[in-house]
Amino acid sequence: MAHHTGRHALIRPFSLARGGPLALPGKPAIALITVALCAAGCGVQTTVQEVRQAQTDLGDDAIVILSRKHKTQGETEDDFVACVSAGVNGGNDGLPVLPARDFVDATFPWFEPRTAPRTMDDLAGVIGRPLISERIQEIGVRYLVWIEGTTQRSDESGTLQCTVVSGGIPACFGFLSWENGSNYEASVWDVYQGMNVGTLSSEASGTSFVPAVVVPLPFIARVRQAACTKLSDQIKGFLGPTA
Amino acid sequence: MLRDFRRLARLAAVGFAAAAAMGCQSGASVTVDISVPRPLVQPLDVDMGVYFDDTLKNYVHEEELEEYGDYRIDIGASQVPVFAQVFDAMFDRVIPVIQEPAVEDPTTPAASAAVSFRPVDGPRVAVDGILAPSIDEVQFAIPDQTGGEFYEVWIRYNLKLLGADGALLGEWPVIGYGKANQRNYGAIDQKEVALNEATIWALRDAAAWLSFQFPDQAEVQTWLTTLDDMP
Repeated sequence: MAHHTGRHALIRPFSLARGGPLALPGKPAIALITVALCAAGCGVQTTVQEVRQAQTDLGDDAIVILSRKHKTQGETEDDFVACVSAGVNGGNDGLPVLPARDFVDATFPWFEPRTAPRTMDDLAGVIGRPLISERIQEIGVRYLVWIEGTTQRSDESGTLQCTVVSGGIPACFGFLSWENGSNYEASVWDVYQGMNVGTLSSEASGTSFVPAVVVPLPFIARVRQAACTKLSDQIKGFLGPTA
Repeated sequence: MLRDFRRLARLAAVGFAAAAAMGCQSGASVTVDISVPRPLVQPLDVDMGVYFDDTLKNYVHEEELEEYGDYRIDIGASQVPVFAQVFDAMFDRVIPVIQEPAVEDPTTPAASAAVSFRPVDGPRVAVDGILAPSIDEVQFAIPDQTGGEFYEVWIRYNLKLLGADGALLGEWPVIGYGKANQRNYGAIDQKEVALNEATIWALRDAAAWLSFQFPDQAEVQTWLTTLDDMP
């Protein structure tokens, strides 16, 4: 079982460093090994898919990107939704995006965690209500993008122990690695047409590791960032003027 | 120079260890002072009096969690803004009322005596009914306790509907539940921010229930029918 003591420093003398200056055997060799390992494992593989069910025309309207909040586990991270919103809104080809909280407030209490529609049919029912559709048109939202999914850490292995050596200098030793997998799906709902116009998905996976000889060197596979970038680009392509 | 560095490193290590040890025990104190957005619902055509007692307006939940420290959640300041916003959207006319001192009547048993109210401002006006919310209980949970991902808050309200004469027409529990995923608050411990967020969602949840469910309650439907039948 993996054991990570990085968050709570283990105050225990470490035999290699006891009684004198720290010896750092093989430092260049270890650096070379980690660079080689990173080249082999740090990369992130991404897969994107798109199913279009109807043409889209954003015009002068805006998009809102929401996540589903009713789950007790595996809820989509707020910062992933914020990342996708920023990604879709950013750049020269950025699209207008209304912040999710503004939308939820404007339509309160119809999109609260316990009251928000859970299926596309429910969504159609809610948006079909005159009070709601009028408000959504008032705030200029044409497309709702509903994101589901999460990033999970798995296959953790190795150990990393940190200690304070006799000279008072903290030091870590060991090797830790894990897999990260992101799997997100976005459903696009056209408020005007009252229908689901497409589904986009973004999957990413990668291996992260932290070798440590005195100083830990984290090589983190930025899986969620990669999934965010890909999904943002997909949404732009799907709803943008060239769609 | 090296000596200074070592001293700093030693201090940092000791500080880190102390912080790590205390982190589990530190508890949290949050004061939630918010309102909710105006609910998007069709208002009922009634003159509704609303009564907020001092216990509601000053409600503070304090709890000591064994191993996790002392927790304090102050939600008193949010109660009037939240309910006022919700009731204002739910009814055509809303009149804040206060309770009048009870007049002792030896011919009436104390338990059955109706409570009397009058408007907070201005002269006495007729109301169709009076709503009086109160808090029965607040509970919360933190991820360290549950092993889950969420800071969670439950607020159980009791909502009373009184007739214009102060007689009880119906009462309902209103449960507000809110959660905040600790994954949204990064590696740094931000339990107060997360607990605050979970409490806000609990207040919003209670407001949502009220907006949606209150008009559908059987007692409310009966009461509305009697109002329609009145000349």
